[in-house]
Amino acid sequence: MLEIKNLMVFFENALAINDLSLEVHRGKIVGVLGSNSAGKTTLMNTISGLIIDMKKKEDRKGGERITVLGEIRFEGEDITDTKPSERVKKGIVLSRERHPVFPDSTVEENLKIATYLRKDPQIKKSFEFVYTVFPRLKELRKRKAGFCSGGEQQMLAIGMALMTKPRLLLMDEPLLGLSPAMQQDLIRAIKEIREEGVTILVTEQFARPLLPIIDRGYVIENGTLILTGTGKELMDNPEVKAAYFGL
Amino acid sequence: MSVRYRKERLDRGIKARCEDIFALSSYREMLYLLLPRVLPVIALLSLPLLKGVVGLYWEKVLVVTCAIALLALSWDLMASVGLVCLGQALFFGAGAYLTGFLNHSFGWPPFLTIPLGTLGGALFCTLLLLPVLRLRGIYFAIVTLTLPLLLARFIETTKILGGNVGMSGLSPLPGIWFELYVPVVALLICLFGFRRLINEDYGLVLQGIRDNDRAVMSGAINIYKLKAQAVFIAGVAGAFAGAFMTHYYQFVGMPAFALDYSILPLTCAVLGGVGSFAGPTLGAFILVPLSEILRAFGTLRVVFYSTILIICVVGLPEGIFHYIQRKYHQFERLVEVG
Repeated sequence: MLEIKNLMVFFENALAINDLSLEVHRGKIVGVLGSNSAGKTTLMNTISGLIIDMKKKEDRKGGERITVLGEIRFEGEDITDTKPSERVKKGIVLSRERHPVFPDSTVEENLKIATYLRKDPQIKKSFEFVYTVFPRLKELRKRKAGFCSGGEQQMLAIGMALMTKPRLLLMDEPLLGLSPAMQQDLIRAIKEIREEGVTILVTEQFARPLLPIIDRGYVIENGTLILTGTGKELMDNPEVKAAYFGL
Repeated sequence: MSVRYRKERLDRGIKARCEDIFALSSYREMLYLLLPRVLPVIALLSLPLLKGVVGLYWEKVLVVTCAIALLALSWDLMASVGLVCLGQALFFGAGAYLTGFLNHSFGWPPFLTIPLGTLGGALFCTLLLLPVLRLRGIYFAIVTLTLPLLLARFIETTKILGGNVGMSGLSPLPGIWFELYVPVVALLICLFGFRRLINEDYGLVLQGIRDNDRAVMSGAINIYKLKAQAVFIAGVAGAFAGAFMTHYYQFVGMPAFALDYSILPLTCAVLGGVGSFAGPTLGAFILVPLSEILRAFGTLRVVFYSTILIICVVGLPEGIFHYIQRKYHQFERLVEVG
Protein backbone atom coordinates (compact mmCIF):
# COMPACT_ATOMS: atom_id res chain seq x y z
CA MET A 1 0.00 0.00 0.00
CA LEU A 2 2.75 2.42 1.02
CA GLU A 3 6.21 1.98 -0.35
CA ILE A 4 9.22 4.09 0.54
CA LYS A 5 12.38 3.71 -1.48
CA ASN A 6 15.81 5.05 -0.56
CA LEU A 7 14.45 7.96 1.41
CA MET A 8 16.99 10.52 2.57
CA VAL A 9 16.17 13.65 4.51
CA PHE A 10 18.68 16.32 5.43
CA PHE A 11 18.16 19.21 7.79
CA GLU A 12 20.83 21.59 6.59
CA ASN A 13 23.93 19.37 6.73
CA ALA A 14 22.57 16.92 9.29
CA LEU A 15 21.29 13.62 8.02
CA ALA A 16 17.91 12.87 9.61
CA ILE A 17 16.91 9.83 7.57
CA ASN A 18 19.52 7.74 5.82
CA ASP A 19 18.57 5.60 2.85
CA LEU A 20 15.44 4.20 4.43
CA SER A 21 13.21 1.79 2.54
CA LEU A 22 10.08 0.34 4.02
CA GLU A 23 6.76 -1.13 2.98
CA VAL A 24 3.34 -1.08 4.56
CA HIS A 25 0.82 -3.67 3.38
CA ARG A 26 -2.93 -3.21 3.45
CA GLY A 27 -4.67 -4.00 6.69
CA LYS A 28 -1.53 -4.35 8.75
CA ILE A 29 -0.13 -2.54 11.74
CA VAL A 30 3.44 -1.53 11.05
CA GLY A 31 5.60 -0.13 13.79
CA VAL A 32 8.64 2.09 13.49
CA LEU A 33 10.65 1.90 16.66
CA GLY A 34 13.50 4.08 17.69
CA SER A 35 14.80 6.23 20.48
CA ASN A 36 14.86 10.01 20.51
CA SER A 37 16.35 11.66 17.43
CA ALA A 38 16.09 8.43 15.46
CA GLY A 39 14.09 10.21 12.76
CA LYS A 40 10.62 8.90 13.55
CA THR A 41 8.83 12.23 13.44
CA THR A 42 10.73 13.27 10.34
CA LEU A 43 9.65 10.04 8.66
CA MET A 44 6.02 10.73 9.57
CA ASN A 45 6.25 14.31 8.35
CA THR A 46 7.75 13.10 5.11
CA ILE A 47 5.05 10.51 4.50
CA SER A 48 2.25 12.94 5.33
CA GLY A 49 3.89 15.63 3.20
CA LEU A 50 4.16 18.17 5.99
CA ILE A 51 7.85 18.38 5.25
CA ILE A 52 7.09 19.98 1.89
CA ASP A 53 5.36 22.77 3.74
CA MET A 54 8.16 23.11 6.27
CA LYS A 55 10.68 23.21 3.47
CA LYS A 56 8.86 25.99 1.66
CA LYS A 57 8.56 28.02 4.82
CA GLU A 58 12.21 27.64 5.71
CA ASP A 59 13.31 28.45 2.17
CA ARG A 60 11.28 31.64 2.17
CA LYS A 61 12.83 32.96 5.33
CA GLY A 62 16.27 31.58 4.54
CA GLY A 63 16.34 29.20 7.47
CA GLU A 64 17.35 25.56 7.53
CA ARG A 65 17.58 23.95 4.16
CA ILE A 66 15.59 20.73 4.08
CA THR A 67 16.49 18.26 1.36
CA VAL A 68 14.26 15.28 0.64
CA LEU A 69 15.50 12.62 -1.75
CA GLY A 70 13.97 9.31 -2.65
CA GLU A 71 10.57 8.04 -3.63
CA ILE A 72 7.29 7.55 -1.81
CA ARG A 73 4.56 5.51 -3.50
CA PHE A 74 1.04 5.14 -2.25
CA GLU A 75 -1.00 2.41 -3.94
CA GLY A 76 1.38 2.38 -6.85
CA GLU A 77 1.20 6.12 -7.36
CA ASP A 78 4.19 8.40 -6.89
CA ILE A 79 3.31 10.96 -4.23
CA THR A 80 6.78 12.29 -3.49
CA ASP A 81 5.86 15.84 -4.49
CA THR A 82 2.16 15.77 -3.62
CA LYS A 83 0.90 18.50 -1.32
CA PRO A 84 -0.10 17.39 2.19
CA SER A 85 -3.73 18.37 1.63
CA GLU A 86 -3.86 16.19 -1.50
CA ARG A 87 -2.38 13.31 0.47
CA VAL A 88 -5.14 13.57 3.04
CA LYS A 89 -7.66 13.34 0.21
CA LYS A 90 -5.93 10.19 -0.96
CA GLY A 91 -6.36 8.76 2.54
CA ILE A 92 -3.03 9.34 4.28
CA VAL A 93 -3.86 10.92 7.61
CA LEU A 94 -1.36 11.85 10.28
CA SER A 95 -2.08 12.12 13.97
CA ARG A 96 0.83 14.21 15.15
CA GLU A 97 2.78 13.76 18.32
CA ARG A 98 1.98 15.64 21.53
CA HIS A 99 -1.72 15.52 20.77
CA PRO A 100 -2.39 18.74 18.89
CA VAL A 101 -6.07 19.66 19.21
CA PHE A 102 -7.96 22.93 18.95
CA PRO A 103 -7.96 23.91 22.62
CA ASP A 104 -10.79 26.44 22.49
CA SER A 105 -13.28 24.17 20.72
CA THR A 106 -15.22 21.42 22.43
CA VAL A 107 -14.39 17.77 21.84
CA GLU A 108 -17.35 17.38 19.52
CA GLU A 109 -16.46 20.51 17.56
CA ASN A 110 -12.92 19.22 17.18
CA LEU A 111 -14.24 16.02 15.66
CA LYS A 112 -16.56 17.99 13.40
CA ILE A 113 -13.70 20.15 12.16
CA ALA A 114 -11.88 16.97 11.20
CA THR A 115 -14.71 15.96 8.84
CA TYR A 116 -14.18 19.14 6.82
CA LEU A 117 -13.16 17.23 3.69
CA ARG A 118 -16.03 14.77 3.76
CA LYS A 119 -19.32 15.19 1.99
CA ASP A 120 -20.66 11.64 2.39
CA PRO A 121 -23.66 10.88 4.62
CA GLN A 122 -21.76 8.43 6.79
CA ILE A 123 -20.27 11.10 9.02
CA LYS A 124 -22.71 10.11 11.74
CA LYS A 125 -21.44 6.55 11.59
CA SER A 126 -17.89 7.77 11.95
CA PHE A 127 -18.90 9.70 15.05
CA GLU A 128 -20.35 6.51 16.50
CA PHE A 129 -17.24 4.58 15.59
CA VAL A 130 -14.98 7.10 17.31
CA TYR A 131 -17.24 7.08 20.35
CA THR A 132 -17.21 3.28 20.53
CA VAL A 133 -13.45 3.13 20.20
CA PHE A 134 -12.99 5.89 22.76
CA PRO A 135 -16.05 5.81 25.07
CA ARG A 136 -14.41 8.46 27.23
CA LEU A 137 -14.74 11.02 24.43
CA LYS A 138 -18.49 10.62 24.44
CA GLU A 139 -18.63 11.61 28.10
CA LEU A 140 -16.48 14.66 27.40
CA ARG A 141 -18.40 15.73 24.28
CA LYS A 142 -19.15 19.24 25.53
CA ARG A 143 -15.88 19.97 27.25
CA LYS A 144 -13.30 22.29 25.73
CA ALA A 145 -10.40 20.26 24.35
CA GLY A 146 -7.86 22.46 26.12
CA PHE A 147 -9.24 21.35 29.49
CA CYS A 148 -9.00 17.63 28.76
CA SER A 149 -6.13 15.62 30.18
CA GLY A 150 -3.18 14.59 28.06
CA GLY A 151 -4.53 11.10 27.48
CA GLU A 152 -7.94 12.40 26.53
CA GLN A 153 -6.39 14.84 24.14
CA GLN A 154 -4.41 12.01 22.60
CA MET A 155 -7.61 10.01 22.11
CA LEU A 156 -9.21 13.07 20.60
CA ALA A 157 -6.28 13.60 18.23
CA ILE A 158 -6.56 10.02 17.02
CA GLY A 159 -10.33 10.38 16.86
CA MET A 160 -9.92 13.43 14.67
CA ALA A 161 -7.65 11.48 12.37
CA LEU A 162 -10.29 8.74 12.19
CA MET A 163 -13.01 11.24 11.31
CA THR A 164 -11.21 12.02 8.05
CA LYS A 165 -11.78 8.37 7.10
CA PRO A 166 -8.15 7.41 6.58
CA ARG A 167 -7.00 4.44 4.60
CA LEU A 168 -3.51 4.75 6.00
CA LEU A 169 -3.41 6.15 9.51
CA LEU A 170 -0.06 7.50 10.62
CA MET A 171 0.34 7.74 14.36
CA ASP A 172 3.31 9.62 15.72
CA GLU A 173 4.15 8.52 19.25
CA PRO A 174 0.60 7.89 20.41
CA LEU A 175 1.75 6.57 23.78
CA LEU A 176 3.82 9.61 24.62
CA GLY A 177 3.11 10.82 28.13
CA LEU A 178 0.40 8.29 28.91
CA SER A 179 0.18 6.12 31.98
CA PRO A 180 0.57 2.34 31.49
CA ALA A 181 -3.17 1.83 32.00
CA MET A 182 -3.96 4.51 29.45
CA GLN A 183 -1.42 2.96 27.09
CA GLN A 184 -3.24 -0.37 27.28
CA ASP A 185 -6.52 1.39 26.47
CA LEU A 186 -4.96 3.00 23.46
CA ILE A 187 -3.38 -0.26 22.27
CA ARG A 188 -6.80 -1.86 22.40
CA ALA A 189 -8.19 1.05 20.41
CA ILE A 190 -5.48 0.69 17.79
CA LYS A 191 -6.46 -2.94 17.35
CA GLU A 192 -10.11 -1.99 16.96
CA ILE A 193 -9.22 0.60 14.35
CA ARG A 194 -7.31 -2.00 12.37
CA GLU A 195 -10.34 -4.29 12.48
CA GLU A 196 -12.25 -1.56 10.62
CA GLY A 197 -9.86 -2.01 7.71
CA VAL A 198 -7.58 0.91 8.37
CA THR A 199 -3.91 0.33 7.73
CA ILE A 200 -1.77 1.74 10.51
CA LEU A 201 1.80 2.97 10.62
CA VAL A 202 2.81 3.83 14.14
CA THR A 203 6.08 5.19 15.54
CA GLU A 204 6.94 4.66 19.15
CA GLN A 205 9.75 4.64 21.68
CA PHE A 206 7.97 2.31 24.09
CA ALA A 207 8.32 -0.97 22.27
CA ARG A 208 7.01 -3.18 25.08
CA PRO A 209 3.27 -2.48 24.90
CA LEU A 210 3.30 -2.11 21.15
CA LEU A 211 5.30 -5.09 19.94
CA PRO A 212 2.61 -7.71 20.60
CA ILE A 213 0.13 -6.09 18.22
CA ILE A 214 2.31 -5.02 15.32
CA ASP A 215 2.56 -7.19 12.24
CA ARG A 216 5.85 -5.81 11.16
CA GLY A 217 8.39 -3.65 12.92
CA TYR A 218 11.25 -1.53 11.73
CA VAL A 219 13.91 -0.44 14.20
CA ILE A 220 15.71 2.74 13.21
CA GLU A 221 18.64 4.43 14.82
CA ASN A 222 20.02 7.81 13.80
CA GLY A 223 17.92 7.63 10.67
CA THR A 224 19.24 4.28 9.56
CA LEU A 225 17.23 1.09 9.44
CA ILE A 226 19.03 -1.44 11.59
CA LEU A 227 16.55 -4.23 12.09
CA THR A 228 13.29 -5.44 10.70
CA GLY A 229 10.99 -8.33 11.45
CA THR A 230 7.57 -9.32 12.72
CA GLY A 231 6.56 -8.17 16.17
CA LYS A 232 7.22 -11.60 17.56
CA GLU A 233 10.69 -11.78 16.06
CA LEU A 234 11.60 -8.39 17.40
CA MET A 235 10.38 -9.30 20.86
CA ASP A 236 12.74 -12.26 20.93
CA ASN A 237 15.64 -10.35 19.44
CA PRO A 238 18.37 -9.85 22.05
CA GLU A 239 19.41 -6.47 20.62
CA VAL A 240 15.90 -5.08 20.85
CA LYS A 241 15.57 -6.54 24.31
CA ALA A 242 18.71 -4.78 25.40
CA ALA A 243 17.85 -1.50 23.77
CA TYR A 244 14.14 -1.19 24.47
CA PHE A 245 13.29 -3.44 27.37
CA GLY A 246 16.38 -2.85 29.43
CA LEU A 247 16.87 -6.55 30.06
CA MET B 1 20.64 3.80 -8.88
CA SER B 2 21.44 7.22 -10.25
CA VAL B 3 23.69 9.65 -8.44
CA ARG B 4 21.80 12.10 -6.30
CA TYR B 5 22.87 15.58 -5.29
CA ARG B 6 21.93 18.03 -2.64
CA LYS B 7 22.95 21.60 -2.00
CA GLU B 8 25.18 21.98 1.00
CA ARG B 9 25.60 25.20 2.92
CA LEU B 10 28.92 25.86 4.56
CA ASP B 11 30.15 28.62 6.79
CA ARG B 12 32.82 30.69 5.17
CA GLY B 13 35.07 30.09 8.09
CA ILE B 14 37.93 31.57 9.93
CA LYS B 15 40.46 28.77 10.28
CA ALA B 16 40.21 28.43 14.05
CA ARG B 17 37.16 29.80 15.69
CA CYS B 18 35.68 29.19 19.07
CA GLU B 19 32.63 31.19 20.08
CA ASP B 20 33.79 34.78 19.80
CA ILE B 21 37.51 34.09 19.90
CA PHE B 22 39.08 34.07 16.48
CA ALA B 23 42.59 32.96 15.70
CA LEU B 24 43.35 35.20 12.80
CA SER B 25 46.13 34.11 10.54
CA SER B 26 45.98 36.44 7.60
CA TYR B 27 45.00 39.92 6.52
CA ARG B 28 42.25 38.37 4.46
CA GLU B 29 40.57 36.94 7.51
CA MET B 30 40.92 40.20 9.38
CA LEU B 31 39.40 42.03 6.46
CA TYR B 32 36.59 39.48 6.34
CA LEU B 33 35.73 40.22 9.96
CA LEU B 34 36.35 43.95 9.92
CA LEU B 35 34.71 44.92 6.66
CA PRO B 36 31.06 44.56 7.74
CA ARG B 37 31.80 46.48 10.94
CA VAL B 38 34.00 49.24 9.61
CA LEU B 39 32.15 49.87 6.37
CA PRO B 40 28.96 51.30 7.89
CA VAL B 41 30.98 53.43 10.31
CA ILE B 42 33.01 54.97 7.51
CA ALA B 43 29.96 55.37 5.31
CA LEU B 44 27.92 57.06 8.01
CA LEU B 45 30.74 59.35 9.11
CA SER B 46 31.52 60.41 5.58
CA LEU B 47 27.92 61.17 4.58
CA PRO B 48 27.90 64.62 6.24
CA LEU B 49 31.11 65.47 4.38
CA LEU B 50 29.19 65.25 1.10
CA LYS B 51 27.36 68.43 2.07
CA GLY B 52 28.89 70.40 -0.76
CA VAL B 53 28.12 67.70 -3.36
CA VAL B 54 24.51 66.74 -2.72
CA GLY B 55 23.25 69.98 -1.25
CA LEU B 56 21.58 70.89 2.01
CA TYR B 57 18.30 69.24 1.11
CA TRP B 58 19.78 65.74 1.17
CA GLU B 59 21.66 66.52 4.34
CA LYS B 60 18.28 67.29 5.90
CA VAL B 61 17.13 63.89 4.67
CA LEU B 62 20.17 62.37 6.39
CA VAL B 63 19.18 63.91 9.72
CA VAL B 64 15.59 62.68 9.39
CA THR B 65 16.87 59.24 8.38
CA CYS B 66 19.04 59.08 11.48
CA ALA B 67 16.09 60.04 13.66
CA ILE B 68 13.90 57.34 12.10
CA ALA B 69 16.75 54.84 12.37
CA LEU B 70 17.06 55.62 16.08
CA LEU B 71 13.34 55.02 16.50
CA ALA B 72 13.66 51.77 14.54
CA LEU B 73 16.52 50.68 16.81
CA SER B 74 14.42 51.41 19.86
CA TRP B 75 11.58 49.39 18.31
CA ASP B 76 13.93 46.49 17.68
CA LEU B 77 15.23 46.54 21.24
CA MET B 78 11.70 46.39 22.59
CA ALA B 79 10.84 43.61 20.16
CA SER B 80 13.86 41.68 21.46
CA VAL B 81 12.22 41.69 24.88
CA GLY B 82 8.94 40.53 23.40
CA LEU B 83 7.26 43.92 23.63
CA VAL B 84 5.80 44.59 20.21
CA CYS B 85 5.43 48.34 20.28
CA LEU B 86 3.31 50.33 17.85
CA GLY B 87 3.96 53.65 19.53
CA GLN B 88 7.49 54.83 18.96
CA ALA B 89 5.88 58.26 18.59
CA LEU B 90 5.38 58.17 22.35
CA PHE B 91 9.14 58.21 22.92
CA PHE B 92 9.69 60.72 20.17
CA GLY B 93 6.95 63.03 21.41
CA ALA B 94 7.91 62.81 25.06
CA GLY B 95 11.52 63.68 24.31
CA ALA B 96 10.49 66.43 21.92
CA TYR B 97 7.98 68.09 24.22
CA LEU B 98 10.19 67.97 27.31
CA THR B 99 13.09 69.51 25.40
CA GLY B 100 10.86 72.13 23.87
CA PHE B 101 9.30 72.95 27.22
CA LEU B 102 12.66 73.36 28.97
CA ASN B 103 13.98 75.57 26.20
CA HIS B 104 10.79 77.59 25.77
CA SER B 105 10.04 78.24 29.44
CA PHE B 106 13.46 78.49 31.02
CA GLY B 107 15.57 79.38 28.01
CA TRP B 108 18.08 76.65 28.74
CA PRO B 109 20.56 75.99 25.90
CA PRO B 110 20.37 72.84 23.73
CA PHE B 111 23.44 71.39 25.45
CA LEU B 112 21.32 71.10 28.57
CA THR B 113 17.85 70.52 27.18
CA ILE B 114 18.72 67.68 24.80
CA PRO B 115 20.26 65.40 27.48
CA LEU B 116 17.56 66.34 29.98
CA GLY B 117 14.83 65.83 27.41
CA THR B 118 16.30 62.48 26.43
CA LEU B 119 16.56 61.08 29.94
CA GLY B 120 13.40 62.75 31.20
CA GLY B 121 11.39 61.66 28.19
CA ALA B 122 12.59 58.08 28.54
CA LEU B 123 11.78 58.11 32.25
CA PHE B 124 8.32 59.56 31.59
CA CYS B 125 7.58 56.86 28.98
CA THR B 126 8.84 54.12 31.27
CA LEU B 127 6.62 55.31 34.11
CA LEU B 128 3.70 55.61 31.70
CA LEU B 129 4.21 52.09 30.38
CA LEU B 130 4.98 50.55 33.77
CA PRO B 131 1.39 49.44 34.46
CA VAL B 132 1.00 47.79 31.05
CA LEU B 133 4.30 45.91 31.00
CA ARG B 134 2.54 42.74 32.04
CA LEU B 135 0.51 42.82 28.85
CA ARG B 136 1.80 40.67 26.05
CA GLY B 137 1.69 40.65 22.29
CA ILE B 138 -1.19 42.43 20.64
CA TYR B 139 -2.53 43.97 23.87
CA PHE B 140 0.70 45.81 24.54
CA ALA B 141 0.75 46.91 20.90
CA ILE B 142 -2.75 48.38 21.15
CA VAL B 143 -1.92 50.32 24.32
CA THR B 144 1.26 51.75 22.85
CA LEU B 145 -0.51 52.60 19.61
CA THR B 146 -3.12 54.70 21.40
CA LEU B 147 -0.92 56.39 24.02
CA PRO B 148 0.73 58.95 21.71
CA LEU B 149 -2.64 59.76 20.15
CA LEU B 150 -4.07 60.19 23.62
CA LEU B 151 -1.27 62.53 24.67
CA ALA B 152 -1.63 64.57 21.49
CA ARG B 153 -5.36 65.09 22.11
CA PHE B 154 -4.67 65.81 25.76
CA ILE B 155 -2.30 68.62 24.81
CA GLU B 156 -4.75 69.90 22.23
CA THR B 157 -7.73 70.12 24.55
CA THR B 158 -6.03 71.30 27.73
CA LYS B 159 -3.97 73.83 25.75
CA ILE B 160 -0.90 73.14 27.87
CA LEU B 161 2.55 73.18 26.26
CA GLY B 162 1.33 75.42 23.48
CA GLY B 163 -1.84 73.46 22.69
CA ASN B 164 -2.39 72.78 19.01
CA VAL B 165 -0.12 75.67 18.02
CA GLY B 166 2.97 74.15 19.62
CA MET B 167 6.05 75.96 20.77
CA SER B 168 8.12 77.71 18.11
CA GLY B 169 11.15 79.95 18.06
CA LEU B 170 13.29 77.55 20.06
CA SER B 171 17.06 77.97 20.17
CA PRO B 172 18.82 76.75 17.03
CA LEU B 173 21.59 74.18 17.14
CA PRO B 174 25.12 75.58 17.11
CA GLY B 175 26.49 75.12 13.63
CA ILE B 176 25.87 72.82 10.68
CA TRP B 177 28.53 70.30 11.66
CA PHE B 178 26.89 69.82 15.03
CA GLU B 179 23.55 69.35 13.30
CA LEU B 180 24.92 66.67 11.00
CA TYR B 181 27.34 64.77 13.19
CA VAL B 182 25.38 64.47 16.42
CA PRO B 183 22.61 62.27 14.99
CA VAL B 184 25.11 60.19 13.02
CA VAL B 185 27.29 59.56 16.06
CA ALA B 186 24.27 58.89 18.24
CA LEU B 187 23.03 56.37 15.68
CA LEU B 188 26.40 54.60 15.61
CA ILE B 189 26.56 54.47 19.41
CA CYS B 190 23.05 53.04 19.60
CA LEU B 191 23.62 50.57 16.78
CA PHE B 192 26.83 49.06 18.15
CA GLY B 193 25.79 49.54 21.77
CA PHE B 194 22.50 47.69 21.30
CA ARG B 195 24.19 44.92 19.36
CA ARG B 196 26.69 44.49 22.18
CA LEU B 197 23.99 44.73 24.84
CA ILE B 198 21.80 42.05 23.36
CA ASN B 199 24.71 39.61 23.14
CA GLU B 200 25.77 40.13 26.76
CA ASP B 201 24.32 37.92 29.46
CA TYR B 202 21.89 40.71 30.24
CA GLY B 203 20.67 40.75 26.67
CA LEU B 204 20.32 36.98 26.60
CA VAL B 205 17.95 37.21 29.55
CA LEU B 206 16.02 39.87 27.67
CA GLN B 207 15.73 37.54 24.67
CA GLY B 208 14.70 34.78 27.03
CA ILE B 209 11.77 36.94 28.13
CA ARG B 210 10.72 37.21 24.51
CA ASP B 211 10.97 33.49 23.87
CA ASN B 212 9.42 32.19 27.08
CA ASP B 213 8.72 34.65 29.84
CA ARG B 214 7.36 32.05 32.24
CA ALA B 215 10.58 30.06 32.03
CA VAL B 216 12.57 33.20 32.88
CA MET B 217 10.21 33.88 35.77
CA SER B 218 10.77 30.41 37.13
CA GLY B 219 14.50 31.19 37.06
CA ALA B 220 13.80 33.66 39.89
CA ILE B 221 14.25 36.68 37.65
CA ASN B 222 11.93 39.64 37.96
CA ILE B 223 10.91 40.07 34.36
CA TYR B 224 8.96 43.27 34.94
CA LYS B 225 12.05 44.99 36.28
CA LEU B 226 14.00 43.86 33.23
CA LYS B 227 11.22 44.87 30.88
CA ALA B 228 11.10 48.31 32.49
CA GLN B 229 14.85 48.67 32.10
CA ALA B 230 14.63 47.65 28.45
CA VAL B 231 11.84 50.15 27.85
CA PHE B 232 13.99 52.85 29.43
CA ILE B 233 16.98 52.00 27.26
CA ALA B 234 14.80 51.91 24.15
CA GLY B 235 13.17 55.11 25.36
CA VAL B 236 16.51 56.89 25.57
CA ALA B 237 17.16 56.16 21.90
CA GLY B 238 13.66 57.25 20.87
CA ALA B 239 13.51 60.32 23.11
CA PHE B 240 16.91 61.48 21.89
CA ALA B 241 15.58 61.50 18.34
CA GLY B 242 12.68 63.65 19.51
CA ALA B 243 14.86 65.95 21.60
CA PHE B 244 17.30 66.50 18.79
CA MET B 245 14.65 67.08 16.13
CA THR B 246 12.98 69.67 18.35
CA HIS B 247 16.02 71.90 18.26
CA TYR B 248 16.69 71.00 14.65
CA TYR B 249 13.25 72.24 13.57
CA GLN B 250 13.26 74.90 16.32
CA PHE B 251 9.67 73.91 16.84
CA VAL B 252 7.71 71.34 18.76
CA GLY B 253 4.04 70.67 18.25
CA MET B 254 1.46 67.96 17.91
CA PRO B 255 3.14 66.39 14.86
CA ALA B 256 5.71 65.01 17.35
CA PHE B 257 3.09 62.46 18.34
CA ALA B 258 2.17 61.71 14.70
CA LEU B 259 1.43 58.17 13.63
CA ASP B 260 4.34 58.35 11.15
CA TYR B 261 6.83 58.09 13.95
CA SER B 262 5.15 54.89 15.11
CA ILE B 263 4.66 53.15 11.78
CA LEU B 264 7.78 54.13 9.85
CA PRO B 265 10.26 52.63 12.37
CA LEU B 266 8.25 49.44 12.36
CA THR B 267 8.33 49.23 8.56
CA CYS B 268 12.06 49.92 8.55
CA ALA B 269 12.64 47.12 11.03
CA VAL B 270 10.51 44.63 9.10
CA LEU B 271 12.13 45.54 5.78
CA GLY B 272 15.67 45.40 7.14
CA GLY B 273 15.30 42.34 9.33
CA VAL B 274 14.03 42.17 12.89
CA GLY B 275 16.36 41.38 15.77
CA SER B 276 19.69 42.39 14.31
CA PHE B 277 19.64 46.17 14.94
CA ALA B 278 21.67 46.56 11.77
CA GLY B 279 18.56 45.55 9.82
CA PRO B 280 16.33 48.37 11.05
CA THR B 281 19.13 50.88 10.44
CA LEU B 282 19.55 49.59 6.91
CA GLY B 283 15.78 49.69 6.48
CA ALA B 284 15.66 53.32 7.54
CA PHE B 285 18.47 54.22 5.15
CA ILE B 286 16.51 52.60 2.33
CA LEU B 287 12.97 53.74 3.11
CA VAL B 288 13.41 57.40 4.07
CA PRO B 289 15.57 58.39 1.06
CA LEU B 290 13.34 56.26 -1.17
CA SER B 291 10.32 58.19 -0.01
CA GLU B 292 12.15 61.44 -0.87
CA ILE B 293 13.15 60.20 -4.33
CA LEU B 294 9.57 59.21 -5.03
CA ARG B 295 8.41 62.77 -4.41
CA ALA B 296 8.94 63.24 -8.15
CA PHE B 297 5.85 61.10 -8.75
CA GLY B 298 3.60 63.53 -6.89
CA THR B 299 0.52 61.95 -5.45
CA LEU B 300 1.41 58.54 -6.89
CA ARG B 301 4.31 58.46 -4.43
CA VAL B 302 2.49 56.40 -1.85
CA VAL B 303 1.43 53.85 -4.48
CA PHE B 304 5.02 53.25 -5.60
CA TYR B 305 6.31 53.34 -2.07
CA SER B 306 3.79 50.75 -0.87
CA THR B 307 4.36 48.52 -3.91
CA ILE B 308 8.11 48.45 -3.33
CA LEU B 309 7.52 47.75 0.33
CA ILE B 310 5.13 44.87 -0.38
CA ILE B 311 7.50 43.31 -2.93
CA CYS B 312 10.37 43.47 -0.46
CA VAL B 313 8.42 42.06 2.46
CA VAL B 314 6.86 39.23 0.46
CA GLY B 315 10.03 38.40 -1.45
CA LEU B 316 12.41 38.59 1.50
CA PRO B 317 10.48 37.89 4.67
CA GLU B 318 13.71 37.41 6.62
CA GLY B 319 14.73 41.00 5.94
CA ILE B 320 17.34 42.48 3.67
CA PHE B 321 20.06 42.48 6.32
CA HIS B 322 19.66 38.82 7.21
CA TYR B 323 19.79 37.90 3.54
CA ILE B 324 23.02 39.84 2.97
CA GLN B 325 24.50 38.44 6.17
CA ARG B 326 23.73 34.89 5.08
CA LYS B 327 25.26 35.38 1.65
CA TYR B 328 28.35 36.94 3.23
CA HIS B 329 28.96 34.21 5.78
CA GLN B 330 28.00 31.12 3.84
CA PHE B 331 28.56 29.57 0.50
CA GLU B 332 26.79 26.72 -1.20
CA ARG B 333 27.90 23.77 -3.24
CA LEU B 334 26.44 20.60 -4.65
CA VAL B 335 27.47 17.38 -2.95
CA GLU B 336 26.81 13.81 -3.91
CA VAL B 337 24.69 11.69 -1.57
CA GLY B 338 23.61 8.07 -1.39
